[in-house]
Amino acid sequence: MMWRLIGLFLIISGTVVAQNKPLLFNVDDLPQTLMSNPGAQINFTGHIGIPFFSQIHLSAGSTGADLYDVFANDGTNINTRIQETMRNMDSRDYFSINQQLEIFSMGWKIDKKNYLSTGIYQEMDVFSYFPKDPAILANEGNNDYLNEPFYFDDVSFTGEIMTVYHLGINHKFDNRLTVGARAKLYSSIFNAESTGNTGRFTTYTTPDGRNVYNHEVVDMNVLINTSGFAPLKEEEGMTVEQATAELLSRSFFGGNVGFGLDLGLSYILHEQFILSGSVQDLGAVFQRKDVENYRYFGSYETSGIEPLFPELDANDEALPYWDDFEDEVDRNLRDETTNQSYTTWRPIKANFAMEYGFGPAFLPCHYLSVKKVRYMNLLGMQLSGVKRPKGFVYAFTTYWDRKINENQRLKVSYSLDDYSLTNIGLMYTRTFNKFNVYLAANNLLAFPNLAKAHSASLQLGMQLIFND
Amino acid sequence: MKLLSKFILRSIGLVLIGVVLCGCVKDIDLNQKEEISLSPDVQIDLLIYDIDQSQFKDPSTGNVRNHISDTVRLEFLDDDYIQKDLTSVEFYFRHINTFPHEIESKIRFLSDGNREQFAVNYTIKPGINGNPVTTEQFEFIEENRIHLVRRTIKMVVELEVQPGSAKFEGELDFASKGLFSFEF
Repeated sequence: MMWRLIGLFLIISGTVVAQNKPLLFNVDDLPQTLMSNPGAQINFTGHIGIPFFSQIHLSAGSTGADLYDVFANDGTNINTRIQETMRNMDSRDYFSINQQLEIFSMGWKIDKKNYLSTGIYQEMDVFSYFPKDPAILANEGNNDYLNEPFYFDDVSFTGEIMTVYHLGINHKFDNRLTVGARAKLYSSIFNAESTGNTGRFTTYTTPDGRNVYNHEVVDMNVLINTSGFAPLKEEEGMTVEQATAELLSRSFFGGNVGFGLDLGLSYILHEQFILSGSVQDLGAVFQRKDVENYRYFGSYETSGIEPLFPELDANDEALPYWDDFEDEVDRNLRDETTNQSYTTWRPIKANFAMEYGFGPAFLPCHYLSVKKVRYMNLLGMQLSGVKRPKGFVYAFTTYWDRKINENQRLKVSYSLDDYSLTNIGLMYTRTFNKFNVYLAANNLLAFPNLAKAHSASLQLGMQLIFND
Repeated sequence: MKLLSKFILRSIGLVLIGVVLCGCVKDIDLNQKEEISLSPDVQIDLLIYDIDQSQFKDPSTGNVRNHISDTVRLEFLDDDYIQKDLTSVEFYFRHINTFPHEIESKIRFLSDGNREQFAVNYTIKPGINGNPVTTEQFEFIEENRIHLVRRTIKMVVELEVQPGSAKFEGELDFASKGLFSFEF
């Protein structure tokens, strides 16, 4: 039974693996570990986050370009650099911003086997593939790209801002297995997405055709869904403060709602080997209010307008060729704005980790604490990722997790991901009596000059953690 | 030894805090954003026609007309992106003629009030023994004359058949395009 459960987790983790705050994963001193794995082994009996400060998380990345590529102060022309950068990127390169702010969090051990945790956090997640073909068309035009199609498929992005209300349980099943689940209620503030677009635009040279070129738009179908955007657009003269107030009002179920689930487990395979895995945000948001969908679709081709040389008097009006042309284009290349509800699936995150402990240490004896033995050192590897519109974004992390003493802990990691091959991360946490602070940052080598960094992420927070 | 390892670990912790606090951006100049522009060069087909001698026949009298013309409004020339961001245009005109006559081609660009802004006039070479002969013409409107294109809204194509002894039979194909350069 246990192996089947583990097998199931491995399969899920293997197919939906993604990058997600790896430095806070499996840190049994920190309540935030329950947010990435509700089935994590934990080493505290209660916690209360300092409101708005228990977790501040920021991460941003770009696989294809960094700030230096565009804004280098090297005397060359910025537009030349932009052109080169765009040409070097491809349509699977992406930009990503993720921000989380824990508004409130708390948890307590309700008995020897169960730990209940709850809280509220706000999240912004923006992910966009580089729309290479439309960007090249806008920047360079079609002159250097005759007979080469520009694909609308390249337009693919998601963006959302939401508040998440959650309640989770961490259950110590037996001495080896800990399982957990977290129910989430999403209150969406804003959403915009455009995925699964199709179509292409091509300018063909036609040596045997009627004109020099033939312009073709084939099977265009571009859909942009938005929710929460329309009321802001309609409010003329709305100040930034008013718009912010309107958005915040939606944090409290004033907008669209959704439901989600996190699942996790950890299993002591052998006294020193621990397996753990989790899947986060198995859920969806049902966009029903303030929805606007913009759709552009159709096919059309043209080689120009054809005058007919009719016999006209001097006072006769010329034939309305342009109007006819426009009508024909409008009939074939259409756009419509609708208010159809849609469902957005949350970007599923998954983690799988295996760690080896050495150098045993003993915890202070407490009647609610089941985990008696822990190790001063943990060597681990973690596979993680996030599901994005064109597939999974992976990261592989190895780490050394070192407990300095009862109050201090350090984690050093090295990650391989789409952004960098030199991603070294550090996490440091310290507890003063019951007051805990932690700081974690990835891609530290890039911090001395973030302009040349493809990614950076930072988590910090403070809270009260109880062990008695 | 234990003291040393503690010292090292604490130092690493301090490095983390130091690195994060000292994180900065260097060697870049964000003020360059003011200089960012898009500069697309766009090839656009304009007018086409394929005509034969029937097009030169007066429908009421049946006689051959030696002059025909037509006007096409190019409404896109009045759009914002043309009025504000167009920097140059290179027009290209091509006639393929099998008529055994020279034909004078006048391509005139008019404002909404029918004032001529600029014109491209050239002679279409006659076909030889019914075989097509191609005449090509380029017209480059550079930045200091681009206001002429911005004022244009109509394109008038005129054909005037020159006298000749050969029978007026054949075909005349016309192709035209513009390479529009913008700076947004």
